[in-house]
Parts: sequence; C-alpha cells; structure tokens
Amino acid sequence: MRRLTFLQQIKWYVITSLIMVIFCFPIYWASVNSVKPPLEIFAGSWFPFLQFKPTIHNWMVELGTEEVRKALFNSTLISTVSTIIVLSIGSLAAYGLFRFKFVGVKRQDIVVWFLSLRVMPPVVFIVPFFIMMKTFGLLDTPCALILINVTFTLPFAVIILWETFREIPVAVVEAAYIDGASEWQIFHKIAVPLSSSAMIAVGIICLAFVWNEFLFALTLTYKEAIVMPVLIGGTEHTRGIEFWFVATRTLLAMTVPIVIALSVQRYLVRGLTLGAVKG
Amino acid sequence: MREGKARYLFLMPSVCWILVFTIFPLVYAARLSFFSFQLGRGMSFIGGWNYVDVFNYSRFWNSIITTFFIAAVSVSVETGLGLLLALHFGREMPGNKIFRSLLSMPLFATPVAVGFLGLTIFYERYGPANLFMSLFGLQVPWLSNTFWAKMSVIILDTWIWTPFCFLVFLAGVHSIPEEMYEVAYLDTQSRLKIFRFITLPLLSPLIGIIVILRLIEALKIFGLPYSLTTGGPGTATEVYPILVYRMALKHFDFGYASALGFVFLAIVMTIVITFFKRLRRIYE
Repeated sequence: MRRLTFLQQIKWYVITSLIMVIFCFPIYWASVNSVKPPLEIFAGSWFPFLQFKPTIHNWMVELGTEEVRKALFNSTLISTVSTIIVLSIGSLAAYGLFRFKFVGVKRQDIVVWFLSLRVMPPVVFIVPFFIMMKTFGLLDTPCALILINVTFTLPFAVIILWETFREIPVAVVEAAYIDGASEWQIFHKIAVPLSSSAMIAVGIICLAFVWNEFLFALTLTYKEAIVMPVLIGGTEHTRGIEFWFVATRTLLAMTVPIVIALSVQRYLVRGLTLGAVKG
Repeated sequence: MREGKARYLFLMPSVCWILVFTIFPLVYAARLSFFSFQLGRGMSFIGGWNYVDVFNYSRFWNSIITTFFIAAVSVSVETGLGLLLALHFGREMPGNKIFRSLLSMPLFATPVAVGFLGLTIFYERYGPANLFMSLFGLQVPWLSNTFWAKMSVIILDTWIWTPFCFLVFLAGVHSIPEEMYEVAYLDTQSRLKIFRFITLPLLSPLIGIIVILRLIEALKIFGLPYSLTTGGPGTATEVYPILVYRMALKHFDFGYASALGFVFLAIVMTIVITFFKRLRRIYE
C-alpha cells in the first residue's frame, strides 16, 4: 500500500484511537466498576483516582466467597484435565491422519467427519447427555464435564495438529523411517518436538474453549461441580444488578481467556478457522 | 507409506471417544424423539407426534426467526466491520502490533460473562449506553423493548466476534503481494477502485470461509442472551438453544426437547451441506 502523507497519518491515528476506545470500553468499564465503592456506582464517575478513591474491597469480598473459589477451582481443574486429554489423544489421531493411507476410507472423509462435530448444534446432545450422566451417577461431577468437553474440542485439536504435521518436511520423516525408526518413535521423537509450538497453541486455545463452555456446564452441574460461567449465569437473578458485583465476577471469568487470546496471536487465525486459513 | 495395524492404533482413541460420545447419544436422542418422555411420568411411544407438535408450536417459529435474525445481522455486521478494520490496520504503522493485540482481546471473552457485563452497560437509567445516547437527547429502552433487546444481543455479539473476522481478513490483506498495488497505482489513483478491483476479489475466498464459520457459531448462540436477557422480554430473544434448554431442563419434557433438537440439526445440516463442497475442498 502507498505511503501516507503526514496529514493522513494523523487521520490514521485519530481513527485508531476512536476504534480502540470503543473496543476496550467494556473491559475498562468492568475494571473501573470493580474498584468503585458501591456509593460511587450511580454517581457517573469514570476515572479512578481522579474522581474517586479505588478500593479492593469488592475483590476481597468476592474472592472470600466459598462458591466463587469452588467455581474457580472447578474451572481450572476441568479445563486443564480436558486439555491434557485432548492433546494426548488428539496428537495421536493427527499423526495417524498425517502418516497413513487408509483402505476404503478417504482421509478427507475422516477430517470432514471430525469437522462435522463442530458444526452440529450442541443442543441436540443435552437430553442424551443428561440422561447418560444421570444413569452413570456422574451428574454434578467434574468428570462429566471433562468427558463432554474433550468430545467437542477433540475435532479442533486433531484438525489443527494434522495441518501442522503436514508441514514437517517429508524427507525428515522418510530418513527416520529408513533408519529403522518405528512409527511410534517418529511420532514422539520427530513429529511432536518439531511441532511443539503449535501443540502449545492448540492446548491454550482448547483451554479457553473449555473454560468458556456454558451449555453443557449448565445442563450437567448445579451445585458441587459448577464452573465460572455457570456461577455467573445462575446468580444474576438472586443478586439483582449490583454493578460492582457484576464487574468483579465477569472479570474473574474473562481474565483467563483474554490473557490466552493475547498470548497465542500466531496460531489464532489458523486455529479459529479450523485450519482453513493459514495466517 | 506402510500398511499394517499401527495406523489404526493411532486413530483409535480419538475415533472411539467420539463414537461413544456422539453417535450413541444421537441414536438415543433420535429414538427418544418418538416417545413421550417426561421425567417422573414414564415413557410411551407416540410415533411422530412430537414432530407434529414442534411445527404447530408458535414458540418454535418465534425462536427460529429470532435465531436467524440475530445470526444474519451479526454475521454480516461482523464481516463488514472485520474487513474495514483489516484494511485500516493492514498498513504498516508504528504501534500497529499493540493495537492488533488489543483488538483480539474479546476473542475468547466468556459469552455468559459478556452478557452479564452487558446488563450494566445497557442498564436503562444509569448505564453508559444510555448516558452516551443522552448526548443526542435519546433514551433507548435497550433491554425492555423487543427490538432493542435483539439489538443489544447483536451489539455484544459483534464485540466478541468482530476480532475473529478482523484477524482472518488481516491475514488475507498481508498475503496480497505489494507489487499488485504498485502496478495498480500506475493506472489509477482512486483508492475505491483499487479496493473494488484488487483487494476485494483477492479477499473473496476468505469472505466465504468467514461467513460459513461464523454462521455455524452464531447458530449455537446461548450464553450471551441467556445471561443478558434470559430470552426476554417475553420471548423476544429466545434463541433456539434457549428454547431447547428450557424444554429439556425446566419442563423435563425430554421426548419433545429431542424432537426440537433434531429439527434444528436438520436445518443446520441443510445449510452446511449446501456449502459442503466448498468446505471439503479446503482440506484436500
């Protein structure tokens, strides 16, 4: 694109700052409200320090609540364990897809089958999952959510890792093969180390997916195994709209995934387009 | 490439896992949709009556229209905004990296939390949305009016998803070779023409991908309206997933909820299969 003149550059920065203000507003608003003393909420104050003295009181109250700590713990537990399972069995499947020709089944058919799971509306599954978990006595346990979340993040991981494995030079793999390496050795000594950064990115994105999952969490948990999104979805009507309370809770729920989005810039495009755009 | 059993072993865990947790539940739900099954009342076979009831249910039609309205508007707004932002930030300017990172912040923002936060933004008396509107002497009934409630959902959805469209388009903008523009500048000075005849045609495959992927996700929308409006006022923002969720876990009408689920599955699959050839070509 053509170089901008000085005036055009100024215009560019003005537009940019406008976009930034609009975009960052919700997060700014939440952060400001979370440090406001309740009395200041309706006073129309927008800037801490200048207009009011910020307080961490809201945060102390919120973090001191038993159910919040339980939800944070559950969210962390469920998303970490699901991610580990997804990465381990997902990378195996991706390698299987990458390395082998199948008799009878075309490779793309398997890929499209995996993809179709991300396409299906999840609501179809809430009744059978509910009954299934009830039958096995898993209702309201982290285990139920781990099983379900792995199912729905697995296709994503398999497709992205498969795409990454395909970028490994054929010569490297062939050389190892001729030297007598078994498939398992090629997998864990060559394929995985060579794509470690993609593995980490996929893991981080999976973590965010699981952290944000709401429909199944709402369906399958109600007391002991609630996660952050369910905590938010459920408490709103018992507490009414207390701005400071809304702010601390939303920030508690959103910080992890937002930090995640900032940390995996490189693989975001590929990950979110399910490998369709290389980015 | 070698033949043998090993190749199946690598795929085995994932394939088995997905079979157990999707095919089995789907078959079970399909069977259930032909039964009258309410928790505590037992099960009885009623043939296709659940499906007949689905199509005679006014809330079904309402939520179909609501879901597709919200999806269509938000997907087109997000795609458009994403494209504009990508053109704007496609230039190499100092500080660009920081802006791009900041813009991708909402990508993974928990939708339920965003909806909840939206409650305070669109709060009608003191919320910042109305404070801003009052600059123009307007007061908008954001959450209590059937039309504006839909708009609130769309606005927040746009906040979450525009970054996605932006990042994908940005990747596209960066992949257009600089020479193209240099040659074009020899012919014309009009930036509009350059956009129309160079940038847009080169980005058009991306538009297809973005619209498909966004549409698929938009039809799953649940957390955001659930916490922002709980489907209200009335049933104005009762999107399809909320309707099914209510049937299943508030009324415990499992047979009927399954039928509702399958009707939606059929609709979504029809849309996706229309794009199927395109989707499949990407993975060859």
